Amino acid sequence: MNDKLYRIILFVAALIVPIVCGGVVYALVTDAYDAFEHFGFLNFLTSSQWSYTAGNEQYGALPFITGTLMTALLALVFCIPFSLPVALFVGEYFRGTKVASVLSTVTDLLAGIPSIIYGLWGFFTLRPILMALDISPQGSGVLTASLVLAIMIIPYVASLSAEFIKMVPNDLKEGAYSLGATRAEVIRKIIFPVAGSGIFSSYVLAIGRALGETMTVTMLIGNTNNIPDSIQSTGNSMASIIANQFGEADDLRLSSLIAIGLVLFLITALINIIGKIMIKRARIV
Amino acid sequence: MKQIFSSIMTLAVAIAMASCGGNAKNGAREAQELSGAGATFPLPFYNVVFENFAQVNGDIVAYGGVGSGGGVRNLRDKVVDFAGSDAFLTDKEMAEMEPVVHVPTCMGAVVVAYNLDGVKELKLTGEVVADIFAGKIRMWNDERLTALNPGVALPAEAIIPVFRSDGSGTTFIFTDYLAKVSPMWKEKFGAGKSVNFPSGQAAKGNPGVAGVISQTKNSIGYVGSEYAFAQKIPYAIIQNAIGEFVLPTAESISAAAAGTIPADTRTSITNADAAGAYPISAFTWIIIYKEQNYSGRSKEQAEATLDLLQYILSDEVQNITSEVHYAPLPAKAKELSMENLKAVTYDGVAILQ
Amino acid sequence: MDRSKIKRRLAKDKLMLWGICLLAALTAVPLLAILGEVLLRGYHQLSWAFFTEPTPTAYKAMKAFEAGEPIPGGIANGIVGTMIMLGMAVIVAVPLGVLCGACLAENSKNRFALFVSYLTDLLQGTPSVIIGIITYIWVVVPMKGYSAIAGSVALCIMMVPLIVRSTEETLKILPASLKEVGLALGGNKARVMMRVQLPAAFGGIFTGILLAVSRVIGETAPLMFTALGCSLIRFSVDKPISAVPLLIWEFFNDPNLQELIWGASLFLLLFVLALNLTAKYLAKKWNQ
Repeated sequence: MNDKLYRIILFVAALIVPIVCGGVVYALVTDAYDAFEHFGFLNFLTSSQWSYTAGNEQYGALPFITGTLMTALLALVFCIPFSLPVALFVGEYFRGTKVASVLSTVTDLLAGIPSIIYGLWGFFTLRPILMALDISPQGSGVLTASLVLAIMIIPYVASLSAEFIKMVPNDLKEGAYSLGATRAEVIRKIIFPVAGSGIFSSYVLAIGRALGETMTVTMLIGNTNNIPDSIQSTGNSMASIIANQFGEADDLRLSSLIAIGLVLFLITALINIIGKIMIKRARIV
Repeated sequence: MKQIFSSIMTLAVAIAMASCGGNAKNGAREAQELSGAGATFPLPFYNVVFENFAQVNGDIVAYGGVGSGGGVRNLRDKVVDFAGSDAFLTDKEMAEMEPVVHVPTCMGAVVVAYNLDGVKELKLTGEVVADIFAGKIRMWNDERLTALNPGVALPAEAIIPVFRSDGSGTTFIFTDYLAKVSPMWKEKFGAGKSVNFPSGQAAKGNPGVAGVISQTKNSIGYVGSEYAFAQKIPYAIIQNAIGEFVLPTAESISAAAAGTIPADTRTSITNADAAGAYPISAFTWIIIYKEQNYSGRSKEQAEATLDLLQYILSDEVQNITSEVHYAPLPAKAKELSMENLKAVTYDGVAILQ
Repeated sequence: MDRSKIKRRLAKDKLMLWGICLLAALTAVPLLAILGEVLLRGYHQLSWAFFTEPTPTAYKAMKAFEAGEPIPGGIANGIVGTMIMLGMAVIVAVPLGVLCGACLAENSKNRFALFVSYLTDLLQGTPSVIIGIITYIWVVVPMKGYSAIAGSVALCIMMVPLIVRSTEETLKILPASLKEVGLALGGNKARVMMRVQLPAAFGGIFTGILLAVSRVIGETAPLMFTALGCSLIRFSVDKPISAVPLLIWEFFNDPNLQELIWGASLFLLLFVLALNLTAKYLAKKWNQ
């Protein structure tokens, strides 16, 4: 095989990725077009009606956009107090030791658990606990979904942030120690400022994960098509409304669901790109 | 490619049939594989029927409980041989599709199931049910509930309504009833396979709702009767149109069908004003195309479909309905359906002679 | 500097250490809780019949439930479906992913390769439910029906970016001298790639494939719109088919079948964790 043919084969194989991506955007846009045309792009995004009464169908994405953002942001808040310590544990305090590798195996395994099993656990274990504690009357809702989502994104954030914490140059830290700083002070004054942008970008990427999570949220959010008025109330995320109704929808509703899919795709794509660019920058520094 | 695989599949089925010691009694044509999808409400009944049918006739029937909405969509996309639906098609839906035939298969009830500690018996009227699901009655110790249930200790807890997250014939039957008894419901929510309930929580399929109710204290929801029976979830006694409080039983469901039935069998029997009638009763239908030659289906497949429907309408099958917590069809509905099946054609020629 | 201030600083330092250890240890709790619950509730269901029989019908399950008997049947239809779809997806995704990864590694400065690299990240971050929609539009609608093929296409689309990434990264960290020696000995680029670089990177690539498989094996949402599910044990690829995660979703939605949910979850969980641990072990071994 000569070099030219080899290069061509490689490039043809690489073409598959742009083709799939282009196809995704093309298929979503063409199939969502009906909904956007019927309701208007902005109106579709800002309407909170989701009503399938024949003859007077009204579909708007606002309840689901709200539900998605609420669950994802709340999950982020819940995950910080655990993911940051894990990252410091693995990347700074016990770096390279046996304990650290045990902990990172634990988080790796946590990352490997399928989302449907997280959903089951949330439904059969966490939900009764929340009901018993009177935190949420029906057990399901934004809060329940985001608690489990938080557990799901901890491993992802922790391993990414640990990478950046490890990259902080040793001479910086040693300089601080020699001036008499304690470890806690080194972490606050040296590690966070230096690795901060990298750590931050790992949280951005984690939001991207949480936004698109489907089964766990579908099993726990309660599946009502209203804008959640508190964190205990039920709702639907963009992914869960699709999971709930895609199988039976047709015509305008199908197109509206695909339109929601397109919005979700664009939001996650945007967040992913921002996160990746930030990570690239953080790595250079 | 597709054809090769399906012929391999047919071959496999044929071999399986032959090896079953000649279970295939149908000498006139080869054993077929039929596929249907739709309502979960009659699913356990269909399971028994299809299994018996495979033994008697040799034809295999695969039925997916995807909900009535999904079943009708699959029929419209012409990917199934029949759709199961608890809601008959509206005139508008009929106009958008090629002509179809509705065949009622059995009768059932939607029960209002609840999860309340220590409450064995709960009486409800249609209007109270409507107000609960509309979010107007929010507490279990609301005076309208305590007035209906003197002597029952109703807790001072919030009511959690549970409903369907997917399009469902059960929802249609339930909301059709609510729209008949409550003008408020008719105006604000209407009747349909999916309705925007204002509060509570939703689950997928009849069994899903039954599951959430049994897992959630102080909840109330509507499910196909057999799921409540099987899960031993208590259900309410509902007041019917003539003022009697009635429990859903085979007799009270049958009593609801005492009225007249139109020729195409598309009728709602909720809130029937017959004595002893359970007010949230309904037919469930199998819907097929009048012209059976579509999506490359063979004549044998069309014949098998009609064999199946005739089998379901037979006394032998109708007698087992009550065994699985449904009720048999009234004689009138069977007669009309047999008549309707004669209009089913393959390439324009009637299949039944 | 007075003593109390130093004491305070040291106390703070200690507090932080303990706090971090405590919170880090707490993250192990969900893993143990999930493993424990699935194991305790599921282990007694694992039997020969559980792996060889298809799921029972709603009627049979209901009768068994009413009678208080154990639910008959198992998850064989799901296991067969998962294996068929995964097998087809792997056959397509591995060569595509490895070649694409090789292209990115060879041409890391090339604009096109950079562009593809970005898109790979994008595809990897795309929610699985959207992959389901896309496969529905691309495969289910033209084929006029749900099928195992559609399911495997969805799994394949999710696996490709994972394999591309792991291949690319593994090839990039190979010492450049390896390639140079190969070329100096007179091999052309293709030969060097096939005979030297890929074999040297085999461990890393294989680990990546294992992780990709473990990632997609538990996917449910895309299969709901593509494979649909089926209660028969089926080997045909143009018909609806079941999968283990689809069965778990079915059991979740049907209280009559709920007993089976823990056995099925245990099976899936053990499978995924075993794949993960194997991959981790191999990666370590290969790194040495």
